[in-house]
Amino acid sequence: MAPASCALCQNAKAILKRPKTGQQICKECFFFVFETEIHHTITQAALFKPGDRVAIGASGGKDSTVLAYVMKTLNERYNYGLDLYLLSIDEGITGYRDDSLQTVKRNQLQYNMPLKILSYEELYGWTMDAIVSEIGKKNNCTFCGVFRRQALDRGASSLNVDHVVTGHNADDIAETVLMNIMRGDIARLGRCTMICTQGEDTIKRSKPFKYAYEKEIVMYAYFKKLDYFSTECIYSPDAYRGHARTFLKDLEAARPSAIIDIIHSGEAFEVRDDVKATQKPQQTCKRCGYMSSNELCKACTLLEGLERGVANSVITDKARKKLDAMGPAPDNLRTIPIFRSPLPAVSIESSQDQ
Amino acid sequence: MSSCGNPIAEDAALMPRRFKFDKVRDCIKCKLNPGNIVIRHAVYCKDCLTPLVTLKFRRALEPLVNASSGTSKRPKLKASGSLTLGFSGGLGSSVLLDIVYKTYFANQPSVDPSGEPRGGANHPRNTNVWSSCAVCYVEVCNAFTETRDRTEEIRTALAPYPKFDFIPLRLEDAFDASWWSKVATTPDQSQLGLELGKDGLCTEGFHLAACPTLPPAAALRSYLASLPTQTAVSSAIKVIVRLLLLYTARSRQSSHLLLGTSLTTLSISLVSSISQGGGHSILEELQEEWTCGGESTTSEKLNVIRVVRPLRDVTMKECAAFGWWNSIAVVGRDKQARASAGIPGLTQDFIVGLEKDYPSTVSTIARTCAKLEPKSASRGSCILCQRPLQEGLEDWKNRISIRSYSDAKLTSDLCHLPLLAPFGASELSTPPHQPPSILTHLCYSCQATFTSRSSRGPKPAPSSIDVSGALPLSTPLPVWVSANHTRPHVAHEELVMSANGEIWYQKKQGEAENQSVVAKFLLDT
Repeated sequence: MAPASCALCQNAKAILKRPKTGQQICKECFFFVFETEIHHTITQAALFKPGDRVAIGASGGKDSTVLAYVMKTLNERYNYGLDLYLLSIDEGITGYRDDSLQTVKRNQLQYNMPLKILSYEELYGWTMDAIVSEIGKKNNCTFCGVFRRQALDRGASSLNVDHVVTGHNADDIAETVLMNIMRGDIARLGRCTMICTQGEDTIKRSKPFKYAYEKEIVMYAYFKKLDYFSTECIYSPDAYRGHARTFLKDLEAARPSAIIDIIHSGEAFEVRDDVKATQKPQQTCKRCGYMSSNELCKACTLLEGLERGVANSVITDKARKKLDAMGPAPDNLRTIPIFRSPLPAVSIESSQDQ
Repeated sequence: MSSCGNPIAEDAALMPRRFKFDKVRDCIKCKLNPGNIVIRHAVYCKDCLTPLVTLKFRRALEPLVNASSGTSKRPKLKASGSLTLGFSGGLGSSVLLDIVYKTYFANQPSVDPSGEPRGGANHPRNTNVWSSCAVCYVEVCNAFTETRDRTEEIRTALAPYPKFDFIPLRLEDAFDASWWSKVATTPDQSQLGLELGKDGLCTEGFHLAACPTLPPAAALRSYLASLPTQTAVSSAIKVIVRLLLLYTARSRQSSHLLLGTSLTTLSISLVSSISQGGGHSILEELQEEWTCGGESTTSEKLNVIRVVRPLRDVTMKECAAFGWWNSIAVVGRDKQARASAGIPGLTQDFIVGLEKDYPSTVSTIARTCAKLEPKSASRGSCILCQRPLQEGLEDWKNRISIRSYSDAKLTSDLCHLPLLAPFGASELSTPPHQPPSILTHLCYSCQATFTSRSSRGPKPAPSSIDVSGALPLSTPLPVWVSANHTRPHVAHEELVMSANGEIWYQKKQGEAENQSVVAKFLLDT
């Protein structure tokens, strides 16, 4: 059978089928529509303004590498007027993060962007290797996720940027919608489809790849021959999320539009007002000054557990009771440095592209 | 669940943790008998399970029986119409049928010493909640080749419930003008169809086409065969069954349609619906108040049918134990007939599997979805599934993806496309004149049903669907799509087909609109 011509330009030979639209298109059209869709996502949500300092969360993986490349391309093509930086977090995972950071360092040279690397050890006094040796592999993602979020904000603060963009793609968002429904996390369900979130004292975070399929990001990186690191984290045996991810991949195989259909669903509903009213207001951690829904933020709680030898205190009731029985934290406990936002305090708000 | 799944969880955001009682030997309810079954971390004995299930059933149904709740805390139950019960022959509907019969129909009024009903036969206490109950069964065998007709088995299974009327329906009734004339007040004027491409429905446009009149079963098969994926077939069958039940309930002046959806199947349908883009109508998956064509006018308030799932708090495991211990006969269904291919089937496998390791998940899914509401207002209802129609669907699709270079918003971007730089956007594909489309009258899920294709190419001729006979140039749509009474709720327009096959939009002008037309010719008085 003769190869089909591109469904968009009708001129060139189609070489790929877009998972998002099902159209068979040529390579040049794929580059164009992929980049232009990201551009439209950015402009329709009015994510940036000229002169903004924007940090790109860079792990060296495919998503963040493509994000850095596309942000640089669009910034030059459409004159966004952004100062772009690479921001990497070194979790301290030997054989994984040290290798991927080498990729980020090469990206720094390839894209000519300043790079800031902030390590868990520097910020919390613990590497993930040390945490895993303390708590085991089962629940380590809890520590890594909480610490990374705060580390990104602190790294962004030290770069004095207005905005952090991350490489979360459509598959990640669809998976998060499903996960939040399955575990009843209504607070996150209400905001996980937002393209941009901003909390009090924190820097804006955006996901320009919100509507970009993971497969298309991989194809883009492949056809552009981008330099990225493609190994899974050695400490990620997340059974529950693993179930959800496998389920999503099955759905996508049955009907590729399932990913965008789930995001559409997530954007079409919201948490009822009477339910929202029961949620805790946001406050500031009394120990480190970071945003929190309790007196102590999650990172300080986790760090206290680690420092006092009861790392499981946020995982099991038994360990939490043990920590409570030990009394208040001693004065010489290692704590996270006080967080100072580069931005003036603003009320909690979020912008959305719908 | 492991906290691994929620790395940045705040305790306050999650559901409160339930205490677990699955390590004890005795029933946690009566604390006397040894336990027989563990339901979501709690042990129950056989004697306590039946009242527990019945209590959950009543708690889910009875607040919705009376048309208005009134001021009384315990109002006397009296429905405004009759009752229709959707019966599939499966476990949930068999349990529902039994409980409804024993709770509301089998009990004789209490008698005084003389043997007469206390207070007299006409005393309000001795009247039934519903005047009558019809059990509707939709036979789907004509949609699949290897499925046998079970109507007579169902009729036999209903023999122990003599006070119920049995109404057998068939899936192909959705394409049968004679069935439509029985259930609807407006006649079916014509059979509308959707234009077909070389491998099923065209993915763009949804253009209407004149459709030859086919026998109902052939029309059904043509419709299902034209759909692009197994997911679409399952979804289409689910929509047809639901609307057959609703129109039948309406024709019997029913105020309630009860479905035997258990907590497990409810969670499956919620996740499946979300996965097919049905987020805007998520509440309708839980509980629906249906009027023909969508929004109810004041005069139609009386015709609202409440679709209630009284077993929505009862898990499939509880249903199975209840059915077994109460000797309820279950006819069962073929796997094909459950319309569980594609996304619905994958979701079922996923949720049922997850329930084994995380027993609270199904309950969490249902409770989470009950806390949601649509973000934007609806503009009428979808002409196919008759659920709320979200505004701005096409805008949303155009914003997130580029499907054609003829889009005006790309004019300034196309100069960055090397191959096309010398050409103007206007030189690219200009859509030719097309017949009318029903695109804007379909909800997101129904659009996906028609357009979303598998990555593996066209759907193979499935063994489960009989596609004997060549596909025509167009495929028929269910009768309620073409029936003009659905249209007034969508911009007050009607689709009308003339004798020569032309399709027209017919718009009814309101009085205010008429006045505005003539306003400038009127003198001030």
